[in-house]
Formats: sequence, structure tokens, C-alpha cells
Amino acid sequence: MPRLMDMGLDQLNSLLLDMANLSQQAVAAAIDAYTHGGKGTGVRQMSDRLQVLHRQVSDLSTEMIARFQPVASDLRFLKACLEISYGFFRYGRYALDITQVLEMFGDLGPCDRTPVVEAARKTQEMIRLSAEAFGKRDVEMARSIPSMDDIVDESYRSYLRKAINEKGNNKCSMSAMLILRYVERIADHATYIAESVEYITTGVEPSA
Amino acid sequence: MTSILVSGRRRSWRRIFDRIMKALILLSVVIAVIPLFLVVADVVVQGLPAISWSFLTENPPSPLAGYGGILNGIEGSLLMVGMGTLIAVPLGVGAGIYFSEWPESRLSFLSSFMNDVLAEFPTIVIGLFVYAVVVAPTRTFSAVAGAVALAIIMLPIIARTTEESLKIVPITLREASMALGIPRWKTIFRVVISTGKSGLATGILLGIARATGETAPLVVTAGYLNFPPTALFQQTASLPYIIYNFGTAGYPNWTTVAWGAALVLVAFMLILNLSVKFFIGRKSTGVRAEI
Amino acid sequence: MSLPTSLVGVQPKFETKGLRAGFGSTWVLKGIDLKIPPNRVTAVMGPSGCGKTTFVRCLNRLHELTPGAVVEGQALLDGEDIYDRNADPVAVRRRIGMVFQKPNPFPTMSIYHNVVAGLTLNGERDRKKLDHAAEHSLRGAYLWDEVKDKLSDSGASLSGGQQQRLCIARALAVEPEVILMDEPCSALDPTATAKIEELITQLKRDYTIIIVTHNLQQASRVADYTAFFYLGKLVEFDETATLFENPKEELTERYITGKFG
Repeated sequence: MPRLMDMGLDQLNSLLLDMANLSQQAVAAAIDAYTHGGKGTGVRQMSDRLQVLHRQVSDLSTEMIARFQPVASDLRFLKACLEISYGFFRYGRYALDITQVLEMFGDLGPCDRTPVVEAARKTQEMIRLSAEAFGKRDVEMARSIPSMDDIVDESYRSYLRKAINEKGNNKCSMSAMLILRYVERIADHATYIAESVEYITTGVEPSA
Repeated sequence: MTSILVSGRRRSWRRIFDRIMKALILLSVVIAVIPLFLVVADVVVQGLPAISWSFLTENPPSPLAGYGGILNGIEGSLLMVGMGTLIAVPLGVGAGIYFSEWPESRLSFLSSFMNDVLAEFPTIVIGLFVYAVVVAPTRTFSAVAGAVALAIIMLPIIARTTEESLKIVPITLREASMALGIPRWKTIFRVVISTGKSGLATGILLGIARATGETAPLVVTAGYLNFPPTALFQQTASLPYIIYNFGTAGYPNWTTVAWGAALVLVAFMLILNLSVKFFIGRKSTGVRAEI
Repeated sequence: MSLPTSLVGVQPKFETKGLRAGFGSTWVLKGIDLKIPPNRVTAVMGPSGCGKTTFVRCLNRLHELTPGAVVEGQALLDGEDIYDRNADPVAVRRRIGMVFQKPNPFPTMSIYHNVVAGLTLNGERDRKKLDHAAEHSLRGAYLWDEVKDKLSDSGASLSGGQQQRLCIARALAVEPEVILMDEPCSALDPTATAKIEELITQLKRDYTIIIVTHNLQQASRVADYTAFFYLGKLVEFDETATLFENPKEELTERYITGKFG
């Protein structure tokens, strides 16, 4: 027999899944614009929409905690909802930030975009996994994400070290650094989402 | 969906039917009450002229001469009912406590059943029993025999009302007392009985009322005496006996004495019953229903 | 069953070993091993019929007063088995107080006499001692200020919440070490309930409290430790916060999230 709060829980779940899809699209559009040169149209709308959805999730989960005083797995889910929704919202925000960099720097045709593109691909894989792990409540999948984060972190740091030794104001390396920074942050959030998924199921916060 | 609006004809037929039923019920109540009313009225009308201070303080007259009084009957009844109460109350209350507090024992079940049988027993048979057991060995009618007979009659009433009054006391009060570390017997006497005490008092008064009016057993145990009692083991007068003896003799002055005695007896019963109402009116358990 | 980490090495106030209880040939409690910590509030909860009330009534030997009741096993109060052959049930009950589901002040007694009933009915006559006990207990039950000017009024003249606090004062007057509470707030309105819950959290400083409740929120507000019973067995016993956020047993999880019972 369905419980009173099941309706609200289902609603939250579908909101989060929507956010998962939307944020993946936003990041993909931004990275695509960088890789192939473009404006990344539509990313702003997606980011704004994600903010609206995040607020809805926040309101709904708070309301459910107040009304139903949930416990155990329900409580953990509601607590994790806020983390996860914030993560998806940040994906969209960073995607928007990337398009703003592109706007500012203009044409990046001659630049060597491979380091960023590779890191971005890795990160997009992480985003996809985090969304899928959440949808399926798959703990094993969630646990595979933090190690990928290490790889993205490493590519960010190595690029930074290289750029420090370069001479002059280089449009390519500056834009690459900024975008790598955003990509690295996106990867971090994917890790947080993975940790939340593990928390919902096992009740234990995985140590960093 | 049926409408709440009913046709005028059905409505007025229903009203008429209600009124007819109400009238019929009222009629049955009136019919039921009439005999009691007539009896009391008759007693009052016939008995009142006989009442005077001397009536209550003198002994009965000889046939055909004067009016005298019913002092012997008053004192005799008081003596025997009093002694009967002294015997019946401890035994009856004790039995009632046992039935109420230990209902699961087989002894309790059996004696409770016997108690109910005894309550409905023909009192003349009880009188004969006491005749065989007290009068015959002592070779005399006596106040003691009368008192014993009355006690046997009162016992089941007192036991039953005690049992019922105590059973009404909620279990949770007993548990509260036991949980405080109060031993069982103290719980029974200081908490349970204290809570059910108006029920107990009612039972005792009802028993007394019943005993005061019993005639047949006294005829075969106490007999009659023209003077107030001076010893426990001699014949003793009683109000019912006076009514029985003087009322059927045929002498007009004796008949008046009988009516007077009847009035005194009825008045006494009425006072007792009013006292019972008074006790019941005050709620025995004072726990308010809280919403 | 493993002990919650905070209770390892702590001497339990009450410990049951293989406690079984029932009526006639039906066992309601099927062997309970539980260590109740001192000066804490332990909640016992579970669906109807799980044996929680029977368990608590075994702890003050009230269960055996019901005709047909049977008890087996041990219940150790400070190491002494209350079911030992030489144990005096009356003495046991003096060390353990009980508050019932429906407030039950003695209807024929005044507020004052209700509070000190446990003392007077056991022979205490010293008026000064009784007065002191009455005030102390009523203060302890957060009732003194409300009744100090009407101590001779009938116990039944108080509201439901006040009556329950009166019953708590009555239990306190006997100076028990453990207080058992069987769903003490279920007959009260939310305001009265809140007052009593506040009282409970204060009382644990001086007493060990065991409270039966089927109200999960009450257990999570009031209890330090919670035991979950199901069909006469102890399923889980842990710190309340842990049990409510991350229960170890699936049965517990299903019960508290409302997926059954």
C-alpha cells in the first residue's frame, strides 16, 4: 500500500532525473561549443531552468521533512536530495560559465584544445555515471567515480604547471585554464553526487 | 439518492403513530404504578389516625379495649434487624470481596452461584431451617433465631451488591496501587473498598430494608410477645408479626393497630430507599470523563 | 545482539536474560535479552501485539497479577533477579514506579493524599515527612505551582495532563530508582504531551526511565536509546538517533518507514 509521502518522493525523484538530463545537455552543449567553435546557444536557458528546478526540489524536500517527519532511508533520501540537486544545478552554472569564457575570448580556432577536450570527455563520463548511479541507486557505480575525479584533477594541475612556465599573455592557455577549472569543479560535484548516492543506500558517508 | 423531503401524508401518519406509541407506553406506566399508589394511599389513610406519641411508646391493647401502641414491635424489630445486620454485614461484605477480587478461583465461582440461589430462596424455608437449627435445640422461639433468619436473608443481597460495586472499580486503580508497592490486602481495603463504598452502603441498606419487612421467617423463629424484649432467648415481637396477627383477628381496635404498624413500617422502608437514592446520586467513582 | 558502542562497559540498571512471558499456553514475549542503561530514557516500541507492554509489566512484576499469567527467565535490577524465589514482589515494586496509559489518580483522595498514597498506605504517619515528600514530588513533576493552593481538592478535579503529572508525582514520592511509563501521553492533547515529554527529559537525571510508545516521533524526541520489538522478540536496540537514521535491521527499517504495521 503506498504511503502518504510516496507521492512526494516520486515527484522529487522525477525532478532530480529531469535535472540530471538537463544538466548533462547543458555541459555537452558548452563543451561542444568550445570544441567546434560556437556560441553555445540555449545553455543560458538550461542553466536558468536548472536553478528553478533546484529551488523546487529544495522547497519540496523541506516540506516533506516538516510534514511527514521521515526516518531511515526516507530521511537519508531527503537529505541527499538537496546535495544532489545542488550538484546538477552547479553543472548548469559551470556550463554557462564556460560559454561566457567563449564569448569573452572569441575565436579559439588556432588553439590546441585537446587537453581540455580530453578532461571534458572524462568529466562528461563522470556526469553520465553520476546521473545513472542516482537513477538506479547503484552503489558500485557510484564508487567508481571518485577515482576518475583524481584523473581530472591531475590533468588540471599538470596543465596549470605547464602554463605557469609559458611566456606572455596567451589567449589559448588562459581560456583553456579557465575552462579546465570549471571542468574540474564539475568533476568534483559529480563526486559529491556519487557520495550522496552511497549515503542514501548504505547510510554511511564515505570518507573523502 | 433518496430525498430528505418526505410527503406530507407520510409525515403526519408518522407523527400520529409516534403519539399513539407514546400514549400506550404512558398508559402501561400508569397501570403499573397504580397498585403501589393505591397500597400506599390505603396504608396512609387507614394508618394515620392511629399514629400518636403514645402509639409509638405503649404496648398493644387487649382485644376490644383501647388503642395502645406497638412499642414491642418497634423494639423487637430493631433488635432483630440490628443483630441480623451485625451478622450479615461482615460475612456478606467479606464474601463480596472474595467474589470480586478472586473471581478466577473455583470456590469463588461455586459460592457465587450458591449466593444467587440463596437470594431467591423462599424465606419461609429459611425460617424453617433456622427453626430446626436454633429454635429446636434451644427449645424456644427467640430474638437470636429471628436475627439469624434475617441474617441469612440479608447475606446474599449484601454479598452480591458488594461484589458488583467492587467490580465496577477499574482495574487500573488496583494496578496503580500495586505498582506503588502497596500490598494486596491494603489495596483492597484502602483503595478498592474506599472507591466502591457508596455501592457497599447501598447494598447494606437494601438488605436492611428487605429484612425489616420479612414476616414468614419470623413467625417460625421469633414468635410474638406482648412486651418489648428483655432477653435474647425468648419470644420477641416484630412489626410484620403485629400486622399479620392483629390485622386478621377481626377486632376493630386491633385492625387499627395493624394499620398503624403498617404505616410505620412503610415509612421506615421509604426512608431507607430515599437514603439509597441519596447514596447513588453521589457518584461513587469521581473520575470525570475528560475530552 | 551487539551493544551500542556508547553502552559497552556500562553497568546496566536493568538486565533481562531470556525473559519470556505470556498467558496460559500463549507466549507473548519469546525470550528477551536487553540491557537498560541507568539514568537514560529507553523507549520500547513496535507494532500492536509485539509484547512491549507485557515486557514492561514484567519489569515491576505486575504481569503476574493477571489470572493465567506466566513468566520465565530473569530480570536483574542492579544485578539482583527480581524473579528470584526469595524476592519480595512488594519490595520490587517499591523500587520501580509506574505511570499508566490513562491517568488514574485515586478518585476518593485529595491531590495531597494521592501524591503521598504510596507512603501513607505503607504506614508513614509523620506529617512533616509527608508534607516534604508531597512538595518535593509535585515539584519534580512540574505540578507544584499549579496545585499548591488546592492540595485538598479532589484528584479528579484536574485536567488530563495535570492528572498524569499527579500520577508521576505519586510515583516519585516513593523514591523509586526506575520509572516505567506505558504510553503515558496517548490520552493527552499535544500541549500536555509536550509538558510531559519535557518532564521526562529532566527526570532522567535522577531516574532510569523506560517508556513504551508507538509514536515514533515521541521516541525520537525523548529517548536516548530505543528497542524495537516485533512478535515478542527484540529486533534491534541502539541509540535512538542511529536507529532512526540508519537502522541495521531491515525489519526495523520497514516498520519505522511505515512500510508495514
